[in-house]
Amino acid sequence: VEQPAPADATAHTAYAKEVAMIGCYVYGIVPETQTSTNVEDLPAVANTHGKISFIRHRELAAVVSDVPTDRPLGTPEDLRSYAKVLDTLAATGAPILPLRFGTVIMDAQAVDHMLTEGYDHFMAALERLQGYAQFTVNARYAQDAVLREVLNERPDISQLREEIKDLPEEASYHQQIQLGQLVAEAVSNKRDTVAAEIQQCLAPLAADTTTSSPPADETVVDLSFLVRNTHRAAFEQAAEDLARRWHGRIRLRLLGPLAPYDFVADAMASSEEAP
Amino acid sequence: MTVASPSGSYLERPSGGLAEIVGLILDKGLVIDVYARVSLVGIEVLTIDARVVVASVDTYLRFAEAVNRLDLTQTETPGVPGLIKEVREGGAESKTKGALEGVKDVVGNILAGGIGEGDEEDEEDEEELEPEARPRQRSHPASRKDRER
Repeated sequence: VEQPAPADATAHTAYAKEVAMIGCYVYGIVPETQTSTNVEDLPAVANTHGKISFIRHRELAAVVSDVPTDRPLGTPEDLRSYAKVLDTLAATGAPILPLRFGTVIMDAQAVDHMLTEGYDHFMAALERLQGYAQFTVNARYAQDAVLREVLNERPDISQLREEIKDLPEEASYHQQIQLGQLVAEAVSNKRDTVAAEIQQCLAPLAADTTTSSPPADETVVDLSFLVRNTHRAAFEQAAEDLARRWHGRIRLRLLGPLAPYDFVADAMASSEEAP
Repeated sequence: MTVASPSGSYLERPSGGLAEIVGLILDKGLVIDVYARVSLVGIEVLTIDARVVVASVDTYLRFAEAVNRLDLTQTETPGVPGLIKEVREGGAESKTKGALEGVKDVVGNILAGGIGEGDEEDEEDEEELEPEARPRQRSHPASRKDRER
């Protein structure tokens, strides 16, 4: 998904460099009562010496730290720091609105302005997410297991494999691509089936779900669930049961409780529909 | 937060692995432009998207390689957990590793080396990661990261 850069992007960057070498990295928005959570000493995005702090506005607070604006964000440390701060706050059980990775606002005053402008919507979204946390299930096929299943189920694929097995690589380049494409599609179909089964087992225990499949990896699927705190134990048990059933064939990993990365946009949209 | 799995659990409960984080957070979360960029004149809001795209041909070639290397003389019945598990664990160390796990490795490599250290020069970074701009290598799939704004 490519979008043309805004025409003034270069000008903005130059302006930022000139005027404000330090910006305000914004992680997310929490209820003001969350400002007692100890996140001060977690590593800050792009700034190992920075402190995590809060900018309060009535019953809201933005989670922020100073960030140098003269370089792009996105190192592994940046990503880890971002997720760690948000997930630490989410783990307290209080609601949180995670902002997209890379959100930098000019200064504290502007952040306060943002909280003022969006106050009612932010409050409504936090209320919607109160008592819920995100859990994400990552399912990955064991490589050999899935390939064996494909060859067993698809005579056409195993026949093509036999045909080109002993050909030199250069002579069979196009067949190799064809073989790989057929296998990739078959694996991708299996992934969809797996996703549907996970969905069927876990969705009844969740308030909302999303599915995302990395387009470049046919063996993996991520499903996110918005789980009510009171349903958490049942949800985790159901995931464990699935993992046991698929042991050796599909590897299941459960991440969470997490900040509601996949559900915050919906929570905000709902609050905008009903002001 | 990590919750330690009880021993004997089949469900993994990892925390903080970069591969998980990348999948979780890229392109997720609330975009606040509407609250700040538009309504606040003169306020800078920078939202940086880091994306990794792996060319599909490379993926296909890795699948072909993996399925070609598969030893069909082993005749495990799917559903016998012990045997399959052995195959899987052996497979993780074998030459076919790169085939299906390569993509996440690429993501990791790019994040480890591509974004960050080399980022003083934006232009250099983009050139380096442009997929069509360089010959394909099967072990190092061409990748691209788009950064907006």
